Order: sequence, then C-alpha cells, then structure tokens
Amino acid sequence: MIPLKKRGWLLLAILLFSLSTTAHAQTLVGRVTTTDGAPLELVQVVVERLDRGTVTDEGGRWFLDKLPLEPVSLEFRFVGFRTENRLVDVVAGETVVNVVMQEARVDLAETVITAEGQADAMLKRSTRSVSILAPEDLDRSRGQTIGAMLSELPGVSVLSTGPSIAKPVIRGLHSQRLVVVNAGVQQEGQQWGGEHAPEIDPFSAGRVEVIRGAASVEYGVGAIGGVIRIEPEELPYDRGLGADLALNAFSNNRHGAVSASVFSGLGSKWAWRVRTSARKAGDSRTPDYVIGNSGFQELDAAATVGFHSNRAGFRLHVSHFGTTLGLFSGAHIGNFDDLLRAIERGQPAVDYAFTYDISAPKQRISHDAISLNGHIRLSSGDWIDAQLGFQSNRRSEFDAHRRFGDPDTDPAFSLTLQTSSAEVQLRQRPRGGLIGSIGLSATTQGNHNGESGFLIPNFRATTVGAFIHEMFVTDAWTFDAGLRYDHRWLRAWPRENLSSGPFVRHDATYGSLSAIAGVIWRMDPSWSVSSNLGHAWRPPGVNELFNYGVHHGTAQFETGNPDLGVEQSWNLDVTLRHTSDGVTAELSAFRNRMDGYIFLFPDDEPRVTIRGTFPAFHYVQKNATLKGLDGWIEVHLTDRLDVHVTSSIVRGTDRESGEALVEMPADRIRGGVEWSPRFLSGSERPTSLHLDIIAVKQQDRIPEGVDYAPPPPGYSLVNAGISGSWTRGSTPLSWSLDVNNVFDTAYRDYMSRFRYFIDDPGRNVSLRMQLSFGAGS
Amino acid sequence: MNTLFPIQRFHFPLLLSAALIVALSASGCDSTEPDDHGAGDEELITRIQLTLTSPQAPQVVVEATDPDGDGANLTIGTLVLKAGVTYTGTIGVFDDVNGENVGAEIDEEADEHQFFFLPGGQDASRLSVTVTDSDSNGLPVGLAFTVATTSGGAGQASLRVILSHFDDDPKDGVNQSDETDIDVTFPVTIEP
Repeated sequence: MIPLKKRGWLLLAILLFSLSTTAHAQTLVGRVTTTDGAPLELVQVVVERLDRGTVTDEGGRWFLDKLPLEPVSLEFRFVGFRTENRLVDVVAGETVVNVVMQEARVDLAETVITAEGQADAMLKRSTRSVSILAPEDLDRSRGQTIGAMLSELPGVSVLSTGPSIAKPVIRGLHSQRLVVVNAGVQQEGQQWGGEHAPEIDPFSAGRVEVIRGAASVEYGVGAIGGVIRIEPEELPYDRGLGADLALNAFSNNRHGAVSASVFSGLGSKWAWRVRTSARKAGDSRTPDYVIGNSGFQELDAAATVGFHSNRAGFRLHVSHFGTTLGLFSGAHIGNFDDLLRAIERGQPAVDYAFTYDISAPKQRISHDAISLNGHIRLSSGDWIDAQLGFQSNRRSEFDAHRRFGDPDTDPAFSLTLQTSSAEVQLRQRPRGGLIGSIGLSATTQGNHNGESGFLIPNFRATTVGAFIHEMFVTDAWTFDAGLRYDHRWLRAWPRENLSSGPFVRHDATYGSLSAIAGVIWRMDPSWSVSSNLGHAWRPPGVNELFNYGVHHGTAQFETGNPDLGVEQSWNLDVTLRHTSDGVTAELSAFRNRMDGYIFLFPDDEPRVTIRGTFPAFHYVQKNATLKGLDGWIEVHLTDRLDVHVTSSIVRGTDRESGEALVEMPADRIRGGVEWSPRFLSGSERPTSLHLDIIAVKQQDRIPEGVDYAPPPPGYSLVNAGISGSWTRGSTPLSWSLDVNNVFDTAYRDYMSRFRYFIDDPGRNVSLRMQLSFGAGS
Repeated sequence: MNTLFPIQRFHFPLLLSAALIVALSASGCDSTEPDDHGAGDEELITRIQLTLTSPQAPQVVVEATDPDGDGANLTIGTLVLKAGVTYTGTIGVFDDVNGENVGAEIDEEADEHQFFFLPGGQDASRLSVTVTDSDSNGLPVGLAFTVATTSGGAGQASLRVILSHFDDDPKDGVNQSDETDIDVTFPVTIEP
C-alpha cells in the first residue's frame, strides 16, 4: 500500500503497540475450514437480506460487525465446495459461527482451473494417507525446526540428536527412506546421517503436506516411508506492497528467532517475496543440568518471483540456509569403555554453565538452492508442468580435538553435494472423472570430499525415471493407479583403507518399478474408507555400501557392504475417515513389507584397535515388516470447546529372526482441549487456551543384545498455552504464549540419540508474535 | 495453432532462469575425481612403544602397531620382564601415516592428557607402575614412569595402557575421561 512508504516502519510499529481492545457490539465472527481442518481463504460470507458480506482471510477467519439484533441467514460460498447456509440469531456482543465446508466431489473440472489446482486435486483425492498443514497450523509451531513442527501429526515423530537436530520419522522410517520436497524440488543433503536434519528454514514454509506410506510413483526412489512436501508461501498476486514480521523467543535455551518478509504483487500477473530469518540459541537445559555445547545459530534468506496468467506461469525460488550447531560435548567419546562409563554415570561428567558459544564438536551446514517451476496450458486444456533445480549442500563437521589444526576452524571432514534435477509432466485436465499425470524426471548428483578426513566416498549418481499416475473419480468412488520406472547409475571411489592405499572404483546400476493402486469408497457424506497398495524401492546409500570406521557418539565400528542390492517395500494402507458437524476423525492401519531392508547388524567379534575395543556392526539386508496404526479425532463439543486426540503405534519385525527392529518409535498418544472462553474474546478475534498431554510408552520391543542401555522408561508431558490476535487498522498481530513440559519433567525419549548420556530438555516457555503490515493483512 | 504454446508473454524470464540454472549446474558439479589430499589427514595413532631400562636387567622395548588405525592389522608385542627389578619407563606415541611424533604433542599439552597403567592377569599383584612426571598443575602425565616386579618365580600378567584426553572434563589426576585416545593391553611375562 502506498501509505506504508510515507509513514515508515517505525510509525507502524508504534501504532501496533497502541492497540486498544474496543468491543464491537453485535458482531459475528468465525472460521471456515475444510473437512481436514485446513483454513479456507477467500470464502464468500454473505448476508443476503442485508446485502452485506465479506470474505475469509488466509486463516479462514471472517467477521461482520454492526449487525441488527435479529436472526440473519448466512451463506458461505466457495468454488469447488458445497455452499453452506446458517441461520444465526444475532445477539449483543459477539457470536462465533464456525463452518466446515465439504468439497463438492464430482465437480473435478470446476476445481481444476489451474495447474496448481490440478496437482492439488490429485493430492486431495488420492487414496493415500495425507496430512496438510496450512499456514495457520504452521504458525503455532513455527520457530523450531522443521522436524519438531511436523511431529504433532499422526504417524510422524522425530529422531533427535540433542536440542538442535530433529529429523522427521514417518511410521518408523527416516533418512534415505523419506523424500523431502522443498519448493518443488527434492531436497538433497547428506541424508544418510541420523544427525543430519533437513536444511530448511521453518519460517519459509507456507504449506506442508505429509504423505504417509510408499509414494515412489510421483516422488521417485526413496519414498518408501513417505514424503514431506514443503511449499513456499503463496505469492501475493493482486495485492500491494506488504510485509510481515515474526518474533519468537524460547526460554529453555534463551533462543531468539526473527523472520521478516516483504512482498508485493505487480498487477495481477507478477508477484515477488523476499524473506530472511535468523535465530540464535544457547545451551539447552534439562531439569537438572545444562546440556553443554548444545547451542545453534542459523541465518537464512529466500527470494521468490512468480508470474501467472490463465495460460502459463512460472515461479523462481532461490534460497540459502546456513547453520552452525553444537553437539553435546559429553557425547563425543573415545571407545566402548568410555561409552559404558558415560551410560553408568547417567548425567554429564561436567557441570556446564550456560553459554551461547559453540565449540567443537559442531557442524556447519549451508544449503543453497535455486528452483524454477513453470507451466503452460495447452489448447486441449491440459497442462505441461516443468521443474528445474540446482542445489549445493556443504557440510563440515568439527571434531572435539584434532592434532593437525585448530578443532574450531579445521573440520574433521567436509562434504559438498551438488544436485541438478529436471522434471517435466503432462497434467491432464479432468475428462469425465479421469484425471492424471505423465512425467519424466532426471537427477544427477556428485559428492566431493573436502581436504580432511574420509567418511563417505566421492561419487556421482544419475537417476532417470518415467511415470504415469491416473485417477478416476466419481461421487462415491476414487480409483487410483500409477506406475513408474527409475534407473540409477552410481560410480564411487571408495577407499579400502589407509595401508592398502588405492581408491577402488565401484560402478553399479540399479533399476526397479514403483507402483500404486488404491480405492476410496465414500459410503455416505460423513464416512469414507480408502485402501492403497504402494510399491517403492531405493538403491543402497553410499554409506551403507562403503562406510568403514568408528562412529563417534555411539562408539561402534561400522563396515559397509558393497554387495548390497536394492531395498523394496510393499505398503498396504487402509484408512477410515469420518466427518460430520462436530466430529472429524481418521484412523489408518498400515503394513509395510520390506524386502532387503538394510540395517546395521552386530558382528560376532568386537573390533580391537589401538584406541580400545569397539562393538562391530556391518550392513546387512533382511526381510522385515513394519506395521501399525495412526489416527486422530477432533470433536467440536461447543462453539468454544474442542477436544482432540492423536495416536501412533509402529511395530517393526525382522521376518527372518522374529526379533523386533531397533530404533522404532515407542507408542504415543496426545490428547488435548482448546477452549475459547467468552470472557477472553472481547476483541475481534477469539483468544483461546489449550492444554495438551503427551504420553509415550516405554519401548519394550527391542532386539536382544544390540543396544547398550535399556530403553528409557515411558513418560508424559503437559503442554499449555494461550493464543490470540488483535487487529488495529490494517495491522493484525497474532501471538501465542506456550509452556512445553509444564512440570519440568525429566525424561528421555527412545528416539533421542543422546539418551545414553543426557535427559531431554526441560520446561520451555515460548512467546511467538506475527505482525502483518500493508497488503499482507 | 499458435494457442498451443502461448509463451511469448513470459518466455524471456523463463528462459533466462533456465539458462541460469543450467550454467550453475554445469559449473559446479563434476567432482567425481578422488581427492587424495585428504585421505590421510585424520587424527591417527598407529604405533606406541614402551621402552624399559634398568641397571639390573637388559633393556626391554615393545610395540603395539595398528598401521591403518582401524584395527585390521593390529599387533601387540609381549613385555618380558625380570622378576624383582624396577625399570624406568618411557612411552613413545607415533602416527606413521603422517610421520608425526604424537608423544611430543602430548608432552606439549600435558595438562590435557594422562596415561593410566593398569596391571591385570593372574599375577597382576606382582606388577606395580608409578608415574614419575607431572604437568604444570602438578598432576601426573605418564610419559615417564617406573615398572617394578616383585621377586619370585615365573608369572603371567598384563599391562593395560590407557591415554585419556581431557577436553571438557577437568583432569584430576585420578579419574579417566570419556575420551580415550589409546587403550592397549600388553601381555606380560615375568621371568625368574
């Protein structure tokens, strides 16, 4: 907006803090969501008789004030959804009218008017188990890592390495068994490491989709456990200059994060956005002690420019992610005896003092990515959608002590991974209920070791694939079928060992089919059941082929196996969904049969070196099964009170020995209430209180004799918080104050890689604020 | 059919960006050549050497070598000691891959290191080791020590040599750290 330029930021900031809370008499407020709880933007809310109306904002919220004291008839309209009518008696004060809109399921053609709409229609009508986090859901948990943000979804947990590293786990699978797609391009970092988290700024995510279960047909090799798709924020077409600012503070590690974006539409066809985020955190603390050297800092920037018209569009997205993070120094141990001593002690040997300083052991990671997505509508009404991406991931890890140089400036090893990718697909417009896409993709990546130590070999991997995915949608049924073939060439220069000297070249090719077949039956408007059979595969990772040496932190000697073949997954998934006025619920059962599941298996003999004795492991392939249940239910008890429960159960079994698989998340359940009491909702938008309890069982299903310490006991945590928003003029401020682990409970999660040494962090009070200026509101 | 690819209105930025990406990809990525500069640069200890001298007995020199640092070719010599003798001992630590004398570096950072000598085996009680050097804080280091054997007949024992690195944990002269750089057990034969 023009006035913004004249007044300047300072004035707006002052304005913001001079907010008053005038109550509007006779106000109707509400929120419009889809059946899966996502807010619906731009829904028309119309009071026919009074000839008045409004549209919902990006959080799905709307309000109408100064209404007459009498019953009014409200109509909610949005293309692709069934129109909803509500008769509301307007009384003095504020009345909340929340509406869940049902998709008009047959009208595929009506919803698919854009290339994005086509992709969206295919995702939403897919027979898979999908969760979508809209911007408002994301706002609540933003400011932490991407992994922590996702862990509230059913079936998703995290594998953590101290407070700074959280890696998403879907239905017991992680790392190379998940695909992360950022801004349309598969994120390619050093994903093989359990302590390598996705290099993505959580503030830049505009929308997150999580697909549980095999999804290789569209996402290629590796999508065995699922897919996490992170889309940048929407571009502000048709809007003027605007900005937003997010400020977060966390008490536990005195962590502050700030993120700001400036954006503008240029007419209706062009738009741009730039964002930068920064965060700095010191050492976290458990209820009893400081976790030494667990601080981290991050500086990220991203820019997006886009163009769209009826016939074509493109989006260019450039991003930089940079972080330095400390690893708890007590977890850096010498040999197996040291590990046993540290486990026996049960807490750090040193009474650390809080600091923001980060010293070795630490990691420094930068990830730069550029992606271009373009689409063109053909005269037939179909779309051609093309993507190009290039990314460069640099990872340096610094060991605690190093003789040849300064441990804080000379990395123990550094790796550079560069990936170029291209994909083109034909997105078909709906033809009598048939919708689908056909595509080709190619990726090539090269890994280069830096000047120091050798962990994984230099390699080049090139993968090409072709796929077809078609869906037939009627009012009561969806049929879903797809097929893909991928081929990968891998050339690596592994090293035998120091004395035998030469680099041995290793060439391998891998190729396999992926497939999906599924069906949804909508028994009636409120119940549906879907089932999906997916087949996915992945080639062995370079670490699994060529690792050789001691893994610090777990003090185990790991040996790769160059003879490994591909890992195959057959995933069967059945989901029951219910949606009615007050209740939404989903329950999924899955069974993932893994053939050639690659994992570390203990050797008979330990490895004796000059540094002491290490338990030895080598990579093997066995047949395994993962099965489980996940689901959630949300009950809208009254207009002001919601109750929700989410739960996940995974069972992993080695089919040959009948033993449990190691590192499977323990059973967990999360339940809570959200209450928007009348006395707190005097202003335009409701203020709500929430209380959540998370209970995690002890993992009692573990293989015999593999782990060094028994799984930690189960635990339960209580989280509580309050959130709300104010608007003054055109400057909305939304805020939340949360306390996680209210009772400062000491606990260790089985999926924490530091559970041998330290507790998980204790109580954490966080304050989040988001402000929008100009056209952002 | 000019409506089939109606790209004239946006093709310039699209093509520009595509060219940019292609240029970036081409410039940066072919790194498939092995980088052997880095291969040997890890922190390694490949050999330790105990030298024991005494006016009462011949000099004893024994080595443990792990040429790759990964245990694949680990060899450990046997200490053959005379009963009833006190030896003056020194320990040498080497990285033969990089040609480094690690012992000299340990001496420089004596306040961050300590050797522990733990007698074991059936005749452990016939061996006693005393550290004779100290760091700037007056705490033992263990680059110099004495080994004494009690007099008597033949015996079998072992001597475990541990080098603790003190980084975070303060060195107290008594306790080992959780960062062990060396942990080798030498068999010991006591001759009458």
